[in-house]
Amino acid sequence: MGVRRRVGGFVLLVNPILCDGFGHCAELAPDLVHVDEWGYPIIVTEPVALANLAALESARYAVRGCPRQALRIERVHDAH
Amino acid sequence: MIALTSPYLWYTTRATGLVTLVLFTLVVSLGTLVANRVGGTAVGRFELNELHRTIAAVACAFLAIHVVTTVIDSYVSTGPLAAVVPFVSSYKRLPVALGTIALDLMLAVWASSLLKARIANASWRFIHWFSWLAFAIAVVHALLAGTDARSGIGLAVVIVCVAVVAGAGAWRFAARPTRAAGRTALSPLGGEPERASRPVPRRSEPTARPAPSADGPQRAAPAFPRRPRPGRSR
Ligand code: SF4
Repeated sequence: MGVRRRVGGFVLLVNPILCDGFGHCAELAPDLVHVDEWGYPIIVTEPVALANLAALESARYAVRGCPRQALRIERVHDAH
Repeated sequence: MIALTSPYLWYTTRATGLVTLVLFTLVVSLGTLVANRVGGTAVGRFELNELHRTIAAVACAFLAIHVVTTVIDSYVSTGPLAAVVPFVSSYKRLPVALGTIALDLMLAVWASSLLKARIANASWRFIHWFSWLAFAIAVVHALLAGTDARSGIGLAVVIVCVAVVAGAGAWRFAARPTRAAGRTALSPLGGEPERASRPVPRRSEPTARPAPSADGPQRAAPAFPRRPRPGRSR
């Protein structure tokens, strides 16, 4: 097996039906999430490299902190 | 059952009962703050949420001590079954049963929160409403069964707790927050000091904040269509 490289990337996805605009995700992952004029999140769609541990950690905090369970992390393989 | 009795068990039951009431008052109030979208400037919304979760865990620990010391104190016979099944205690049947019902409701809230990622969010929210009922029943339990809650400091504490939770409840129903009230400025994981004063990005304007590192996220089109949602009510 060997060492598992952190190749590929991830995106943070929001389920806009569940989201009620609590804004916790924008506090916990400010580099991945913006808040629009109505308080709803706008999430960066470009995949982020999994090697960017700070970004991954903040995304995990956002998923855990969302009061509506509206967020999830999806792994993508075509990260830049 | 082994005769296990000590005034200290009784003292512990009384003390933890009162402390549990105070802690759940805090938990309910903090939960109301989260639900009403308080925070984002001086204190983060996520911080209030974390406090809510953490104090809830502490309150459950005190509740557990309260129940266990009541059950193992054989001076009055409640019996282990009375901890979870209402109306089986031979001592103070109704007051103890009310405490049991409140405990069962809190167990439901606790279990649903532990399973939050596995169950539908609507179920979790529905079960979370039980906590108001549990608090009300627990107060009646405190007044009927409590040694200290009918006079002096104990009564004062109960009155303050009831007033705080009643105020939180009234606010919860009156406020009906429709939106998140714009951006929030606090994050534990790095942030830019000027973020709080930055203007909210306009619709068609790509956000120009620099990425945190070379391979960090790049600004791109919004993840989902940004339709206005005027006056969206919950
Ligand atoms: S934390 Fe969850 S509910 Fe709140 S804005 Fe983010 S995705 Fe929406």
